[in-house]
Amino acid sequence: MRQPAPSVADLNLLDPDGTFRTRLEADRRTIAHLSDTGNLGELKRIVHGLAGAAGTFGYGEIGGIAIEIDDAFVAGEAIARTDIARLLTALELALGTPEKSA
Amino acid sequence: MTLDLGRAEGNAAAGKDHLRDAPSQARILVVEDDDNIAALLGRELRGLGHTVDLVRYAEDALFAARGNDYALMIVDLGLPDGDGLDLVRELRRRTVEAPILMLTARRRVEDRVIGLSSGADDYLVKPFAVPEVRARVTALLRRPSRLRGHRIAVANMVVDSDALEAVVDGVSLALPRKQFQLLELLARRKNHMTPKRMIEEALYGFDDDVTANSIEAQISKLRRALKAAGAGVSLETRRGIGYRLLGANQAAN
Repeated sequence: MRQPAPSVADLNLLDPDGTFRTRLEADRRTIAHLSDTGNLGELKRIVHGLAGAAGTFGYGEIGGIAIEIDDAFVAGEAIARTDIARLLTALELALGTPEKSA
Repeated sequence: MTLDLGRAEGNAAAGKDHLRDAPSQARILVVEDDDNIAALLGRELRGLGHTVDLVRYAEDALFAARGNDYALMIVDLGLPDGDGLDLVRELRRRTVEAPILMLTARRRVEDRVIGLSSGADDYLVKPFAVPEVRARVTALLRRPSRLRGHRIAVANMVVDSDALEAVVDGVSLALPRKQFQLLELLARRKNHMTPKRMIEEALYGFDDDVTANSIEAQISKLRRALKAAGAGVSLETRRGIGYRLLGANQAAN
């Protein structure tokens, strides 16, 4: 289920200087690159960070998907490309960048 | 929907009405390697009037704890140079008695149980809501120091009333029940004189046969046991008044 988007005011309170948003943009680019190259170790580190931080900063949908993927990593399960695609879509929607076809 | 951030003027000012009993200007150590989370915690806690030290590594946390008397520590479980659980265990072994709020993305119940049994006082799962962090920090700081856990540290010794054991430099000290009770009482009242009558009432029931020198005998045995274990404490006697447990440094002064 899609989480309601936090308001701009909420995000500004949690991330007044926009550093978390900048990180999300960097993470989005890195995840897109890693999903192509298959570097799971680095992907795991970024997803774990998002699982802990995204929801805290008001990006609940990103955090929720990251938690699902992180749990799969922890359980040693295979990571579905569709889940990575969902995460990328959620990042693009939150950041307002054009959505790519998954 | 908007998130409930306790919005008012600035993050940390929000919700202060709920926090009016919180001690102000506590010194807090935050051990967190996620820069964004660390900055958020620092901003919120400083906004509540606290002094906040932020470190990324377990090693830095141990160094900081050695030189500062923190009122609270917030420790992330996944640190770049080690497990936060090991850090908490090491802090407790070093007789750090500040309450510890553990912060982690590990969501399983067993992880929380392990965290709490390692010496943490509270556990918060990421992602967390800022008002919840504020409330938990305030609650932990509000606890009277003697209730902030069941471990009382005196010099290199920790008296653990849950485990019913005293530990000196990480080594458990085997004490008979009466001596442990006596040590626990004196540790709770460390630096303060404990009248002999108070000790009698704590150690003996109405039906116990208490002779004139029962307390002196227990004190003497305890003193020998502490010395043998290398405890850096002094058990002082004031004739006609009572007994006092002091750290070795304080006794020398």
